[in-house]
Amino acid sequence: MRELGLGHLNRRSCAAPFWRGLLLGLAMLAVGLASGARAATLQASLDRDTVSLGESAVLSLVLEGGKPDADPQPPTVRNLQAGYPGKSSQYSWVNGESSSTITYTFPLTPKQAGTYTIPPIKVTVDGQVLASPAMTLTAVRAAPSTPDVAGADQKMVLVKLVVPPAEIFLGQSVPIELDLYLHSSVQNIVQYQSSAFNADGFTFGNTVQGPQRQVRVGNANFTLVPFYTTMTPVKTGELRIEPIDCTMVLQIAANGGRRQDMFDPFGMFSEQRRVTVSTEPVTVSVLALPEGAPAGFNGAVGNYTLSMSAGPTNVAAGDPITVKIQIAGHGNLDGLSLPPEPAWHDFKTYPPTSKVDATDKLGLQGTKNFELVVVPQDSEIKQLPPFAFSYFDPDQKAYRTLTQPAVPLVVRPGAASVAPNLALANRPEGGAPAAEIAPIRLRLGTLHGLQPALVERPWFWATQSVPVLAWMLLLVRRKRADALANNPRLRRQRQVAAFVTAGLAELRRHAAAKESDQFFATTFRLLQERLGERLNLPASSITEAVIDEQLRPRRAPESLQTGLQELFQACNQARYAPVKSTQELEGYVTRIETALAAARDWEA
Amino acid sequence: MKSSRHIWGLVLAALVGLGVHAARAEDPAAAFAAANQLYEQGHYTNAAAAYAQLAATGRVNRNLYFNLGNAWFKCGQWGRAIAAYRRAEQLAPRDSDLEANLQLARKRVGNNASVAPSRVQRWLGGLTLNEWTVLTMIAGWLWLGVLAAKQWRPAWRASLRNAGFGLGLATGLLAVLTLLLWRDAQMDRVAVVTVPEIKVQTGPLEESTLAFSVPDGVELRVLDRREDWLQVQDAHRRIGWLKREGVQVL
Repeated sequence: MRELGLGHLNRRSCAAPFWRGLLLGLAMLAVGLASGARAATLQASLDRDTVSLGESAVLSLVLEGGKPDADPQPPTVRNLQAGYPGKSSQYSWVNGESSSTITYTFPLTPKQAGTYTIPPIKVTVDGQVLASPAMTLTAVRAAPSTPDVAGADQKMVLVKLVVPPAEIFLGQSVPIELDLYLHSSVQNIVQYQSSAFNADGFTFGNTVQGPQRQVRVGNANFTLVPFYTTMTPVKTGELRIEPIDCTMVLQIAANGGRRQDMFDPFGMFSEQRRVTVSTEPVTVSVLALPEGAPAGFNGAVGNYTLSMSAGPTNVAAGDPITVKIQIAGHGNLDGLSLPPEPAWHDFKTYPPTSKVDATDKLGLQGTKNFELVVVPQDSEIKQLPPFAFSYFDPDQKAYRTLTQPAVPLVVRPGAASVAPNLALANRPEGGAPAAEIAPIRLRLGTLHGLQPALVERPWFWATQSVPVLAWMLLLVRRKRADALANNPRLRRQRQVAAFVTAGLAELRRHAAAKESDQFFATTFRLLQERLGERLNLPASSITEAVIDEQLRPRRAPESLQTGLQELFQACNQARYAPVKSTQELEGYVTRIETALAAARDWEA
Repeated sequence: MKSSRHIWGLVLAALVGLGVHAARAEDPAAAFAAANQLYEQGHYTNAAAAYAQLAATGRVNRNLYFNLGNAWFKCGQWGRAIAAYRRAEQLAPRDSDLEANLQLARKRVGNNASVAPSRVQRWLGGLTLNEWTVLTMIAGWLWLGVLAAKQWRPAWRASLRNAGFGLGLATGLLAVLTLLLWRDAQMDRVAVVTVPEIKVQTGPLEESTLAFSVPDGVELRVLDRREDWLQVQDAHRRIGWLKREGVQVL
């Protein structure tokens, strides 16, 4: 759907705000300083050479590199009315180079049919007088493309399909135009929709909107909005282009476009009207291409030029050479393809890549650049054979063949010259190397079932959890180690617990060996370590006195105090009266275990 | 004389076709070789049918799709050829012969209405989705390995800092690219026209008016599905509905 607004189409600002002028002046000053003595240039052009009576042509004057002493005046030609001039400025600074451009536009409306010569327009820049070239404008009485519907000037919207040539050739791309005429009382249109071009036997290109212009139909003024596209016939005969339906909502001034309405001086109150208009069906005669096509003709229709280059030209056999082919001109550039070149049979050729550089919006004019790689197969090759491209010229109704000369080559012996080449071996007879596809695969290989992607399989995600879990376990382990390192009490608790476990085992060994001295020395050390840890005191400072000094004030259980006291006393007594009996020592082990456990469980 | 030669050719093709059918039941490699034989003899339609029958078993690979594309190409069925080549491309995106044949088929179509993948899509398409996934997995495992080593030996933390950062960044980036490609594979489906011309209508109804028409081989982006209809968009951003029977959805 295309949406149009006349406000941005045909209104031209005529006020020149102060600030814009000031900025322009500053820009001009900067340009003058930067560009130094660069000479100013003046160019003039008409947007078209021929107009119908009632239409306007636009004369553009482009002044580059300078500021005029005074704005140029519109040309004075009898019966050629010049409208209000427009002025636009452009200043650019690219890579340190500044440039300024001032463009003046003059709408010119012929009053009578005939040929008008527009005299040179003079502009003075820094004392230097510049003059535009003289130009010719032709006004014709009949407007060839305006709708000739009865009462057309009474309608709000008209639509017409313009197909220039009545006869075209198969494969010839031609521009066609869908013209939408909007009455001057139409302020705007919205929700514009048009059905697609529908014609059996034609393919159509992109549609682009052209610049709108004012035209006169009957006694009314219309704004013409043209839409351009291209059509290419794919079969011959009388082919019909079906009507195109255009639907839109018109915003029409309530006063019918009369600005002098005292109740609506600004045209604020508009009426909305949905309308559908259709083009007339058009029949186009498509001719078959004549007999006698050249050998390499592959369907190109248009008017083209050809250029070719190849490099490097000094290579070893088997080395690639890049061939660049440019086909420039007018025609269906997208559909152009390189013809097969049987003379290139000594080269392995790869399918070319191509790029179209169109110079018009429809893609009918421009250049198609092909690039292909050819590989000489042996060192006997002395040249890349001539390249020929044939096309049908619809204007001259004749086939043309463009030829590029052979490119001399120096091909040295190389390893690739003796290497087998499956692609060449499988090429069918008479096959065109540049357009041939790579051959089929001879071996099937391993077949696989159509399976979902790895990311869609549950087992894949399950596998991914393994490293994550490993990392998390190691993370927890390190966190615990850090917690231990930062808590001396906890660390001592663990050290003492380990010491006690080892000490009790040692006690049992001493008891079995009847080593009374070592037994009680170990016992004393165990009591010191456990109580030191509980009371947060150095182990070496723990003696029997700690029971009265520390445990009792802290209200340790009586059984704990008693048990510890008995053990301390037993340790002291053993220095003078060692215990010799194993049973007796093992009896102490149980009591020591109980006391140490009670001390461990006591919250100091 | 000419017609009798034609009849003998048909008989030969039928015999080889029967051979293909018998061989397919036993050995895919034998069926593939028989289809190749049909192709080399110039019976491209029969060869394409034989390759297609083999592919219909559900067990495929790039060589099978490649040969199927070649057979359709030789038949002048550009759409079917492009569809087969694109299926092969999904399995082997870096096959230069395949790419060349696909471009050649697209050139034969000669219509600029086909949707072209964006630069990012082309770059991502250099690897398959599974290859991107495995790359991401390797980077992720290496990254987690470095993280685990830093936990295991805190003394290594300083020396492994840059490696961890780099691998983490690479993992994140690869994961994003993989997800993009996966989303692309899920959402951005392409339909290839496989009939001489298909009419694209303004709605999913028989009565809907014609929006535009596209010829064989044009690749269209699928936007929506409704029963037997697909909503498609072409390179000119024209949108319409077409019947599913005239296209192959990749």
